[in-house]
Amino acid sequence: MSVKIIKKGLSDRIVDQGRFGFQDLGIQPSGPMDFLSAQLANLILGNDITEPIFELHFPASVFEFEEPMYICISGANFVPVINEKSVALNTSIQVYPKDQLSFLQPLEGRSCYLAFKGRLDENKKWLNSYASFKTTLNKGDHFAIDTAAENNISIDALKQNVIQQVQKNLFNEDEIRFIPGPAWNDLDPASIQLLMQEAFTIDSKSNRMGFLLNGPSLQLAATKQYLSSAVTMGTLQLLPNGQIIVLMADHQTIGGYANLGQIILVDLPRLAQLNNHRPFKLSITNVQTAHALYRSIQSWFIH
Amino acid sequence: MVSLGMQSLDNKFQVQLLGDHAILIKLSKGLNAGMDKDLLALAQFLKAQKVPGMKDIILAYDNLTLVYDILHFDTNPYFFVNQLLDAFITEASNNNASNNTARLIKVPVCYDPSLGIDLEHAALIAKCSIDALIQAHTTAIYTVYCLGFLPGFAYMGDVPKKIQLPRHPQPRTKVAAGSVGIAGKQTGIYPMDSPGGWQIIGRTPLKIFDPVKLSLFSAGDQVQFDPIDLALFHQLNNQADVC
Repeated sequence: MSVKIIKKGLSDRIVDQGRFGFQDLGIQPSGPMDFLSAQLANLILGNDITEPIFELHFPASVFEFEEPMYICISGANFVPVINEKSVALNTSIQVYPKDQLSFLQPLEGRSCYLAFKGRLDENKKWLNSYASFKTTLNKGDHFAIDTAAENNISIDALKQNVIQQVQKNLFNEDEIRFIPGPAWNDLDPASIQLLMQEAFTIDSKSNRMGFLLNGPSLQLAATKQYLSSAVTMGTLQLLPNGQIIVLMADHQTIGGYANLGQIILVDLPRLAQLNNHRPFKLSITNVQTAHALYRSIQSWFIH
Repeated sequence: MVSLGMQSLDNKFQVQLLGDHAILIKLSKGLNAGMDKDLLALAQFLKAQKVPGMKDIILAYDNLTLVYDILHFDTNPYFFVNQLLDAFITEASNNNASNNTARLIKVPVCYDPSLGIDLEHAALIAKCSIDALIQAHTTAIYTVYCLGFLPGFAYMGDVPKKIQLPRHPQPRTKVAAGSVGIAGKQTGIYPMDSPGGWQIIGRTPLKIFDPVKLSLFSAGDQVQFDPIDLALFHQLNNQADVC
C-alpha cells in the first residue's frame, strides 16, 4: 500500500512523538508542533497514538493514493478536498487508487496532520524516531504503508468525546499558561507587569524552530550574561532586542538567552495552532496544575 | 553529612524546575576552570541509572537538565530528583575516589589557509604570526562544555586569551563540514556543512558526527588539536569518506 507526493508543499514532514535520549549530543527532539491533533488522528483510525504521521503546513503537499486505505486529517483546517470534493476533519475517510488529496486554504490553525490506518515504512526510522528536522515530503516520494486488514473504522461515543475535548482545547481564547523559569526574577518589575497584562501575537517570521512574539518590549533589571543550559519546547527566551521567542518543536538543544519560563505542555498545541492575527495573553501557573492537566488530557487517549 | 573526599556534596547542587517536564540542577557556586568533576560524575550516574521516564540528561557548563515524561512520575519532581541526588551522594561516598577521569581526544587539524579560510585574517586580528596562532591553538587542552547548535557540535573552551577572536558580523551561508573555528573563548568544529559565523582557522578530516556512530564528542571530554599537513589531511579525509 502506498501514497505518493505529486506536488511538494512548503515544509511538510513525517513526525512522531519526537526523538528523545540524544539531546546531550545536540540532536533535537523535533516532535509534532501539536501533539494533541497528532494523537487524535491516530486514535480515530485505531492506531497506536504514537504512530508516525505527516505534519503539513500551508501550502501543503498534494497526495495521490495508490491503494485503497483509510486516512484521517486533524489539527488545522486547510480545507481538505479529495478529487475536488470537500472532506471532513477528524473522521476516518476511505480513499481509493488515483484519489488525490489537496488543501485549498488555511482557514484556521497552522499545523495539519494526516494519518494512515496502519504503519509507515520502518526504513525511514533513525534513532528510535521518524522525526526529522527538515522537510521530508518531496515531489515523487512514495511512502509504503503497511495497512491493517480492516473493513470499517467506527467512531464510537468515546472517540466522539475525545474529538470534542481536543477541539475545545485547541481553539479557544484562554490564556497561554507558563511556569516562571531561571531568569524570571531578573526581569525588570515594569516588564513583569507588561508581560502579565499586555497581549501578544505571533510574528510572521515564526517557524517550527520558534515563535517570535510581537508585544511589549521587555528588559532585564540589569544586563546579565547566562551560561547556556538546556531548553525545551515552550521555553520563553528574552532576546537582546526585548522580544520574546517561544522555542517550538525544532528548537536547538541548549540556549544562552534569558530563560523566562516554560509554557506548559497542555497549552503548547493551542499556541502551535494560533494564527498570527489572534492576540493572546500569558499567565502563570504551577507544576502541580500542569501535571494534573496533562494527566487528564492523556487519560482521554487510554481506552 | 556525606562527603566526597574533602568536599561536601550536600550543598553543591541547586535544584530548580524547568517548566512541567524538565528539572535543572545547577552548581551552587558556579564554574571554576574546566568541567566540574562532581557534575560530570552526576551526569554519568544518572545515565547509568536508566530511570524509566527519564527522556534526556543534558550536561552544559555549570548545569545539568533532566527531561522527564510526566506520566511516569506520580511524585513531586523535587522529591524525585532529591532521591536521585541522595543515591548519587551515597554512591559517590562509597566509591570515594572520584575516578571519572575525562578522556582526552586528539583531533588532527590541517591549518592550511586553503581550508582555514580565516587564518590569515585571524592572525591579523590576534596581532601574531600564523605559526604563533596555530601554536597557541594546539597547545591548549580544551574542555567540551556542551553540545548544541547542530548534532555533534561541541562548544569547547577556553581559547587562550591572545587568540580569542570575535564572530563574523555577518555569518557565512556555508561553512564546510570539519571546519575548526574560534568565537570568543570558544572553539568548535562544524559537524556538517552549515551556516556559521565563527572564524575558521583549519579543518579536521575526522567525521565529527555520523548517523550511526553519532557524536565524536560528549560534554566533559578533553580535546587537543594536532597539526597535520595538507597531504595527510587529504589522505585521512579520503579514508574517512570510504569508511
